[in-house]
Amino acid sequence: MNTQSDQQRREESAGLMEYSTESLVPFGPIHPALKEPEYFKLVLEGERIVQVIPRIGYVHRGLEKAAESRPWVQNMYMFERTCGICSFVHSLCYGQAVEELTMFQTPRRAKYIRTIIAEMERIHSHLLWVGLMGHWAGFDTLFMWVWNDREVVLDLVEAISGNRVHKSMNAFCGVRRDMPENMTERIVERMKFLTDRARYYREIIDTEETMLKRTENIGRVSADTVEKLCAVGPMARYVGLKRDVRFNDPYAAYDEVPLDVVTTTQGDVHALLRLRLDELVVSANIVSYAVKNLPDGPIRVKVPPIIPAGEHSSHCEAPRGEIFYYAKSSGGRTPERVKSRQPTMANLPTALEMLKGQTLADIPIVLTAIDPCFGCMDRMSFYDTETNKQWTWSGEELRQYGINYYFPERSRKKKGLMKGIRPLTGQCLREGF
Amino acid sequence: MSETLVQVEKYAEEAGTKVNSLRKNESLVEVSQDHLKAFLTHLVNDVHVRHLMTITGLDLGQNLGITYEFNLERDTIHVRTLVPKTKPDALSIVDIIPGAILYEMELHDMFGIQFLGNPWKDQKLLLPDEWPADLPPPLLKTTKADQIRRRLGLEAVKQ
Repeated sequence: MNTQSDQQRREESAGLMEYSTESLVPFGPIHPALKEPEYFKLVLEGERIVQVIPRIGYVHRGLEKAAESRPWVQNMYMFERTCGICSFVHSLCYGQAVEELTMFQTPRRAKYIRTIIAEMERIHSHLLWVGLMGHWAGFDTLFMWVWNDREVVLDLVEAISGNRVHKSMNAFCGVRRDMPENMTERIVERMKFLTDRARYYREIIDTEETMLKRTENIGRVSADTVEKLCAVGPMARYVGLKRDVRFNDPYAAYDEVPLDVVTTTQGDVHALLRLRLDELVVSANIVSYAVKNLPDGPIRVKVPPIIPAGEHSSHCEAPRGEIFYYAKSSGGRTPERVKSRQPTMANLPTALEMLKGQTLADIPIVLTAIDPCFGCMDRMSFYDTETNKQWTWSGEELRQYGINYYFPERSRKKKGLMKGIRPLTGQCLREGF
Repeated sequence: MSETLVQVEKYAEEAGTKVNSLRKNESLVEVSQDHLKAFLTHLVNDVHVRHLMTITGLDLGQNLGITYEFNLERDTIHVRTLVPKTKPDALSIVDIIPGAILYEMELHDMFGIQFLGNPWKDQKLLLPDEWPADLPPPLLKTTKADQIRRRLGLEAVKQ
């Protein structure tokens, strides 16, 4: 998809500052029914994207302000509600920032349980993402298979914590529930099953034409640009940067479990797919090792509700990348200040760079590739400055447009859906569309 | 002390300040606005501390604190600079670290700090476009949640 000049231009414009107004496409922000709202202003030259300007904040709920008027412990469960997928790691990171201000140590058994839950969460988050990639690429069978396998790990999480999504497992300096007895064999067996499935999916994405055509050579960014834009997690590892908090600054029990940091230098959306599927295998190994070697002892130390004055920060590796929490105490029952930074915020500038030089048909796949914590693929209006005409596509229509662009032979059955919609340029019209 | 911190100390001295060790692997450097950009340039180019985790805003009474949180493997380096609350102007570091662009916009929304040199400094990122100009930035200690709710006409929703 990339020409030499595209590549050069993107490398030169790492600062995201250039702005030309060939035609402007507002993307987002809201559809009342589905997913999360997000808005992007896309500047196009014909079919190619030259600049993207984000506008986020439609679901900003003011958690940092709310934290200042709530007790320390309540905040732990409030911050867990930041995300509906990687909820555990938020309370873990906030907990670690606060624990350092107290004089208490987390017991070793609790650290192992935290590691197990965090890795199970990574497995279910990555599986969810692989399924979504299949859906947006027009490969819905993959979506259904992967989400079916995701139930396996969700069932385990439920058996351990009592909940599928918001586990509420963490407490300051410990966890609230012990591991159930006689679970070891079951967990190891399920992890082996998931490892086999991950290897199978890896084979599929390497050979299936649908996935290869939609993901290979899409969203290329140089390692230097990614480093400058401070990307985190898989978004840094897919260009070869070894940036993983679990490895670089181990927390919980990560210094005692076998951990391989998966990196790739391929640097396109296909590499992200392979990377996350490989990480599934690593996570499954960690869980198996941790349940087999779970140490005995207490799971929790009781911490008084007043936290001594001081400030501390902590960072953890969430499924999407590094998350960061900062806590400042003035010695009271409530925090003086809490700051939280989520991985999508750090990865957004890189995603905008990935979009530059791509075609309109690649938007859903590239935006999904960063595993965003927003999902507004659902409404898109087009504005052509030359003819002064405006029209709107829904997310489903945009998905179909992407699929038809790459696989025109499949679109005959669905002619009715796109009828009457005027595409942006004649170039994107293919037979049967 | 790690090798990274030894180098950071050297450049901190050049900037007329010193490194405070908060705890193992975590240190705080307080730099004035005048020396900030030179110090950060050394940090990024010479010490190779390139990963900016985020920028944290703090309300410290008379002043606003801006903390740049850097990370290199096990070392976390907080670089803090102060700006007066009455005139919250700070220099943008987007030319040194392009990844700081959204964090600066966030601080502009939440604390009202103007980052001179940020190309998108006049746009809102997190607050709504129709946020009233007479409402103070929400994360200042003097701004109360009730005040925001009243001004935005959300009392009815609360009941």
